[in-house]
Amino acid sequence: MSTLDELRERALAAIADAQDLDALDQVRVTFTGKRSELAGVQATMRDLDAEGRKALGQQLNAFRAAFQEAFDARHHALGEAALAARLEHERLDLTLPPRRLPPGRPHLLTQVEEEMLAVFIGMGFRVAEGPEAEAGAYNFDLLNIEPDHPARQEMDTIYVAGYDDVVLRTHTSPVQARVMTTQAPPIAVVVPGRTYRADAVDATHSPVFSQIEGLYVDEHVTMADLRGTLLAFARALFGADRDIRLRPSFFPFTEPSAEVDVSFDGPGGHHGWLEILGAGMVDPNVLEMCGIDPERYSGFAFGIGIERVAMLRHGVRDIRELFEADARFLTRF
Amino acid sequence: MKLPLSWLKDLVEFDLGVEELVEVMSLSGLEVESVTAPGAGAAGIRTARVLHWEPHPEADKLRFVRVTGDGGDGEVEVVCGAANFDVGDVVAHALPGGHVPGVTGPDGSRGMDLSSRTIRGLTSHGMLASPKELELGEDAGGILVLPADTPLGASLDDLIPVGEPVIEIAVQADRGDHLSVLGVARDLAAILDTRWRAPEVPDRPAGPSIPVALHTDGCASFHTWVLEDVTIGGSPLWLRQRLTQSGMRPIDVVVDVTNLVMLELGQPLHAFDLDRIGGPSLTVREAVDGERLVTLDDVERTLAAGDLVIDDADHPVSLAGVMGGLDTEVVADTRRVLLEAAVWEPITIRRTSRRLGLVSEASMRFERAVDPAGAARAVARAADLLVSLGSASATGSDVVTTEPAPAWSERPSVRLDPARVRGTLAVDLSDDAQIALLDRAGARVVPAPDGAGSAGGAGSAGGAGSAGGAGAATSHLDVTPPTWRPDLARQADLTEEIARLHGYENIPDHLPTLPTTGGLTPSQRAERTARELALAAGFHEAKTRPFVGAQAIAGVLPSEGRVLLANPLAQDAAAMRPSLLEGLLQAVRHNHGQGRPGVALAELGRCFRPVDDPLGPALDAIIGTGWRWTDPVGEPIPLQPRVLALAAQGRRLGEGWLDTEATWSVWDVLDVLDRVARRLAPPDDPSWRVERHAITREGFHPGRTAALVLQGQEIGVVGQLHPEEAERRDLPEPVVVGELLLEPFLAATPEAGHPPVPARTLVRHPAMTVDVALVADDEVTYATLEGTVRQAVGPLLDELWFFDEYRGAQVGEGRRSVAMRLRLQDPARQLTDADAEAVIESVAEAAEAIGATLRR
Repeated sequence: MSTLDELRERALAAIADAQDLDALDQVRVTFTGKRSELAGVQATMRDLDAEGRKALGQQLNAFRAAFQEAFDARHHALGEAALAARLEHERLDLTLPPRRLPPGRPHLLTQVEEEMLAVFIGMGFRVAEGPEAEAGAYNFDLLNIEPDHPARQEMDTIYVAGYDDVVLRTHTSPVQARVMTTQAPPIAVVVPGRTYRADAVDATHSPVFSQIEGLYVDEHVTMADLRGTLLAFARALFGADRDIRLRPSFFPFTEPSAEVDVSFDGPGGHHGWLEILGAGMVDPNVLEMCGIDPERYSGFAFGIGIERVAMLRHGVRDIRELFEADARFLTRF
Repeated sequence: MKLPLSWLKDLVEFDLGVEELVEVMSLSGLEVESVTAPGAGAAGIRTARVLHWEPHPEADKLRFVRVTGDGGDGEVEVVCGAANFDVGDVVAHALPGGHVPGVTGPDGSRGMDLSSRTIRGLTSHGMLASPKELELGEDAGGILVLPADTPLGASLDDLIPVGEPVIEIAVQADRGDHLSVLGVARDLAAILDTRWRAPEVPDRPAGPSIPVALHTDGCASFHTWVLEDVTIGGSPLWLRQRLTQSGMRPIDVVVDVTNLVMLELGQPLHAFDLDRIGGPSLTVREAVDGERLVTLDDVERTLAAGDLVIDDADHPVSLAGVMGGLDTEVVADTRRVLLEAAVWEPITIRRTSRRLGLVSEASMRFERAVDPAGAARAVARAADLLVSLGSASATGSDVVTTEPAPAWSERPSVRLDPARVRGTLAVDLSDDAQIALLDRAGARVVPAPDGAGSAGGAGSAGGAGSAGGAGAATSHLDVTPPTWRPDLARQADLTEEIARLHGYENIPDHLPTLPTTGGLTPSQRAERTARELALAAGFHEAKTRPFVGAQAIAGVLPSEGRVLLANPLAQDAAAMRPSLLEGLLQAVRHNHGQGRPGVALAELGRCFRPVDDPLGPALDAIIGTGWRWTDPVGEPIPLQPRVLALAAQGRRLGEGWLDTEATWSVWDVLDVLDRVARRLAPPDDPSWRVERHAITREGFHPGRTAALVLQGQEIGVVGQLHPEEAERRDLPEPVVVGELLLEPFLAATPEAGHPPVPARTLVRHPAMTVDVALVADDEVTYATLEGTVRQAVGPLLDELWFFDEYRGAQVGEGRRSVAMRLRLQDPARQLTDADAEAVIESVAEAAEAIGATLRR
């Protein structure tokens, strides 16, 4: 058996024995590298004659071909195994929670407010705002609530000390007056914001709550316009099958005035009405005091409690939950 | 106002079940709050006379009683625990097998079934019932004792409508007429288009009454009746029931009758003991400042000019329209009574009542205006009832009126344009239909003498005949409201009345096409952007109550100034928040208390500072004074800029994931505020770049707190709470907070929004990356180092990223190394190694200039 034959047998055995790509590479170096036995055999070439060289050349080629074939096959097999091992090693349980911080949630009241505003914005209302510590003149006087009127007493106002007549606004209606005294009709605004009453905190009362006020003043605004606007609002917010009904009421700044109920279908086919807002035609005194000619213009106004709508829609039973910022509550919605 | 059904039916015709009635009322401005049935369930109760009683031999506090039996005959034995009766009294006997409703059992159950049972050896056949047990009053200390002429052996059901429905309505501020059964009956008649009737009253007796002088316009009329041979006793069963149903306590027959008539007719009455009135006459006058009067509730009141009193020539005997005086009240041995009914000016009574903090049934009615034509009937009705109950005889009377009638007691006619009503309501109601509705309301309607346009109405004198009647375009109506409807004073009021009686449900719906385009302003959108940025960083939005007590942590631009509340709900809510941080920290504490490993909260809202607070000029310097609010005449009201505040504590949490490696840090807060400030600022405007300055602030970690500074003014603060402050709040460290005034950014956002951001040409030549590390003393801030590098690199710098901070032996004590990666690009050519060399050299040079060295 020639040296090369013996070498080939050993080399092929070593290839077969190699257990990973590194070992395989070592086999390659050992058998075909610069200081390998193969190199030694090759070195004998120069001592041979042409015939001998040719014969050895052929043997060498045969050796290389055999080696390469075995090497490639083994390399391929080991490569596949290594990839399979890696893939197995890299397996993730993707039912684990992602270790990333999720975005925070907007407050339920923000969500409801924005949804309500979107309905009115779609109708063509702009959004107006005003201060929460408000001049009594805007909160009361310009809204036809005289200092001695019982309605003023019923508002349970919180007063700011140290000023002649500054209150925590009892409703968002003062922004009506701010808008009407600075802008000319046509006016169509909705006013979201915080409001205050001297109510002790319990499950259904909060000294701070929020409202969305609406105001539309133009020529020939009618009570049918008011009803149509509120009906469209109620259906957008509560469902297309809802109805509304208006009940006579009293607000100093509207005449005629109405409480507005929205229909609901309760369990067991029970059909009922839920009060959601107050509304009316802007009192001519208010228009006049705000510098708008009541003979030429008329308007309607409404005020919706955001907490009430949020609580009704989401079944929140205790208004305090809206203000204690319990993360369990905040992340629920 | 509580309305017993039988009483309502006495005064108005209707044929509706209670449910239907409640529905009609609710839809017509009589808002029903509740329907109750006091006394419901009472059974087997009959009247009986006490024939004999003796102490129970086995129990000191019990009596063994014999009362009349069935039909008033025979005898029945009962054991009774009360002592307020005697032989001959008529009482309510609850028979075995019967039921009394007004008892609450030890287990909270309502009512009690009766049987014959043995009490300490004696058999009691049922019980003698107290007013409370029968729900005919609150009195549980004694049994019900009825007037002697009450029929005997009669079932309670036959004497009074036991357990009938009582409808309680909420009275609107402008509908004082609803504070009486008659008032509601009249309104129901108008609503249902049926008839009402007031009780019949006798003519007033011709005999003399006490002389009365009216010295004030605050009284329109003053009616008196003199009653003699008065016997003060208990009221009959029906009267007791109506008072109790209405929420009033039966006292004695005279007081009860005045109360009953007030409830029935809405006119408050007062009964004086005529023999205890000092002088020969009464004067109605304004009080003198400091004058004193002890009122019926045994409180000495100090009066003020403007109050009205009735004076007996000796001293005030009554605080007019509010409460009578104690020393002329009717007592057990009163023999002569002066019944008084007067019509007082609403605003005067309101002021007195409010000043004294004294709200009575009378003041409540007078301040909402009583029917000026109703006093005569009321006083006659009361006298008639007392006479018919055998409690008095009427001998004299008098009426004094102020002439001419004061304006406040007048109900002037209103000019109505029926076309305008149709326009406002969008309902096609003919003139005649409107007249018919107003007629139902009790108004008198006549065509206006001048049919010309509405502008001619009030001022012009030459109305009569001048128009010549030829083809007047619009017809107008003159509407005189009924005396009991002061709320019908303008066309708008009549419009509402027409709509109400016609039915709000008949108003159609029409969605108007608004002539305006809706939407949010750029400033409003910017506010939403600020919220979104905070939420994106993992902060949940909180809404806290904006009140603080004396202890509140300092936030942005702290000051001692507080917007204090005149009538706070609690001492720890005495002021409006000067910063949002206190509320957020309390919310953080709440979450920690609930066992949450960590929480991050954000709130957007207003903080509140006095007008002269230093926060004012600081903001003025940036955005002028347009952000301040004023009252209508330009007087300033408290500062209330909008703020974004953040607070975080403990570990980060996802849904079902807890980060045990890291806690919320001051960087998280800083990141949000910095991002908000950059996003909301006018684009590419270096004057709106916010700087950060290390500061110390009470409650904050001295080495981990920075002010955010815009144009030299603090507009924000970021920091970690001082360990002691965290400890004081019982919060595990670290607790990190931040607060940024949004007002400068929002106020500086133009109505049309900031100008569009121009695009930047993207350089296509390959970029070159160079890392530099500067070593400097700790005192040299990163901002300085970064600025130095930017300056040194110049226009080749495309982007700069901080990536490492190192402290240790290699750089020396008190020093640090700060590493930045620079991305270099030139729009015109490809950069070479020589460019990199040059950049590094210029950075090294610039570093030397600020006492730093480039680490090679």
